[in-house]
Amino acid sequence: MASQIYLDLHPLRSLPLPLKTQNPQNQSHHFKPNTKNPITCKLRAAVIGGGPAGSSAAESLAAGGIETFLFERSSPATAKPCGGAIPLCMLDEFSIPTHLIDRHVTQMRFISPSNLIVDFGKTLGPHEFIAMLRREVLDSFLRRRAEATGATLIKALVTDLVVPTSLREPYVINYIIGNCQRQLAVDVVIGADGANSRVAKSIKAGNYATAIAFQERIKLPEDKMGYYENLAEIYVGNDVSPDFYAWVFPKCDHVAVGTGTVCSKGDIKSFQRAIRARAKPKIDGGKVIKVEAHPIPEHPRAVRVRGRVALVGDAAGYVTKCSGEGIYFAAKSGRICGEAIVKASEGGENMISEDDLKREYLRKWDDKYFTTFKFLDVLHKVFYGSNAAREALIELCGDEYVQRMTFDSYLYKKLASGNRWEDAKMVMNTISSLVRCNIMGREMEASAQKILSRV
Amino acid sequence: MSMALFSAPPLHFPPSKHHTTHKPYPSLSFKKPHLTFLVSPKAIDNGSGSVSSTSAATVEPEIPEEKGVKVEESNEATLGSNGSAPVASAGAPVTETVRMFQDSRWVGGTWDLNQFKKNGETNWDSVIDAEVRRRKWLEDNPESSSNEAPVLFDTSIIPWWAWMKRFHLPEAELLNGRAAMVGFFMAYFVDSLTGVGLVDQMGNFFCKTLLFVSVAGVLLIRKNEDIETLKKLVDESTFYDKQWQASWQDENSSSSKDS
Repeated sequence: MASQIYLDLHPLRSLPLPLKTQNPQNQSHHFKPNTKNPITCKLRAAVIGGGPAGSSAAESLAAGGIETFLFERSSPATAKPCGGAIPLCMLDEFSIPTHLIDRHVTQMRFISPSNLIVDFGKTLGPHEFIAMLRREVLDSFLRRRAEATGATLIKALVTDLVVPTSLREPYVINYIIGNCQRQLAVDVVIGADGANSRVAKSIKAGNYATAIAFQERIKLPEDKMGYYENLAEIYVGNDVSPDFYAWVFPKCDHVAVGTGTVCSKGDIKSFQRAIRARAKPKIDGGKVIKVEAHPIPEHPRAVRVRGRVALVGDAAGYVTKCSGEGIYFAAKSGRICGEAIVKASEGGENMISEDDLKREYLRKWDDKYFTTFKFLDVLHKVFYGSNAAREALIELCGDEYVQRMTFDSYLYKKLASGNRWEDAKMVMNTISSLVRCNIMGREMEASAQKILSRV
Repeated sequence: MSMALFSAPPLHFPPSKHHTTHKPYPSLSFKKPHLTFLVSPKAIDNGSGSVSSTSAATVEPEIPEEKGVKVEESNEATLGSNGSAPVASAGAPVTETVRMFQDSRWVGGTWDLNQFKKNGETNWDSVIDAEVRRRKWLEDNPESSSNEAPVLFDTSIIPWWAWMKRFHLPEAELLNGRAAMVGFFMAYFVDSLTGVGLVDQMGNFFCKTLLFVSVAGVLLIRKNEDIETLKKLVDESTFYDKQWQASWQDENSSSSKDS
């Protein structure tokens, strides 16, 4: 960059120099020109939360030379209620070793309300699969790697974040370690503490709508477990969830049967009964070994960056609609945020500002992933609204082109390049499936009305 | 329509002792059944007595009088069947048995189109009706999905022209009729006010706009509720965007807090 050369040439490095805005194509948001704020010692950063988001952030920060503290309250063996599926691109980008993977799912079965089944998977190449991992295994691996890169892991519960009133003062983190209350002063905070984020509360980031995901881990008899060897199932229907889907995902030696909802959280137990009933022939005779539930954010918080605090992962609300995928986006946002801080502070030499965080992290993130999230939101609205729409979705998914595009987009997080003719056909098929199934839906309502009116 | 397959229905009816009367269908007299439905007794918790009668009723919209169904307090319900229904004994504690959708024309997970023939050609209307009934049944009584009996039918089997003929054409007629009425009256009205004839009206920009607005109106607003629906749709489609932009809006209000 021109500014970099400028700095090197100038003998007095500590003189503030205006920095050109680095994002020329961004007309909608005008960033103030950055003034350099060199500091005497290295920038101190704290990452609250040691899940995929926190560990990736801590790793990027430590690798960039910043003094990093990673706070995590749970022991490494704590299992999180989570699907545990990660896309292929995550294995590459985050160098996840293959021995951590429990299962390679190569077949996904979608089941409609009328039990029409569609199998995804015939378009997968021999090296393509959805990796299923145990969250505790993945999380502790990432955490250990962050530690190895130079972050200081602190096993403690963060109770509060004190936001400073003046610009020069540090943020103070109150935490409990062992049984004593301690404090830590840092310059930058990354909140990666999940859906019930304390950091978000401390910076008044606002609330978001959440879905509740409820699942039971069921240990199946051997022969039934064989069916789920590398097959995962997704069930849709008003009986199992009015606005989400229910699933049967294989884990290391058991299956996770669960469902989720946003609008009818009170009925979650009856939805769970319904999914158990729907999958009955396949999970009959299994023993429930664990029951767990967790909120899933539905959209980003109103404030994701405030002062020198940034939110990443679930704390920020980076979970896609429609599929409810969050692990990859958590890890990626953590990494992008960490790298943003490293870049803006030039390896810890300078103090960063809110504008730096917004420019390097938020803008990059929104530019890269907003269309993905928006597209999934549209899909969610169109196809998860009614049984008729769900039938249309399952019908559509029978088409091989749709399957290929879906998998490519999911596995590589890139808009798959299809050819225009097939795209046009897919759009026509979408419309006609939706029309047909909605007609059926209307006829179903009409026949119900007819009966009720005769009463 | 389809054939009556009941042979000796009254024999299967257990003597009714009590009635659960959530719905006004405690006892339905049996007359001319069009479809066979098998409803096995099932141990279900409260309210399902009504479900069974609703489902029994909803799946047969064309029958003038309903089949005989006796709903007992132990929640047993049996419809006249083709004989193979496992009927639990009246009044005995019912073990859980699965209620499945059955129809003589639903063979091997799909509709047997040969059974829908009328004058040598498949009667697609009745296929649509049958499928509607099946889906309604399943909505009320979700079935577990098993690999042994996969469902193979989807709506793309029904040809596009059957859909057109039955659903699109009547509505198109309605909408075109409305548009024609509005158009004729407006043309007459404008002509009487301004003296501009129909052909000259079409050349005018204002008239073209009016035409566009009325066509759009006829297409989009077909029932009174559509206005509300459209407003909600516009809101919903921009809601998600607003949530993402919220982080950026904050900038304007807190620009002084820059560190």
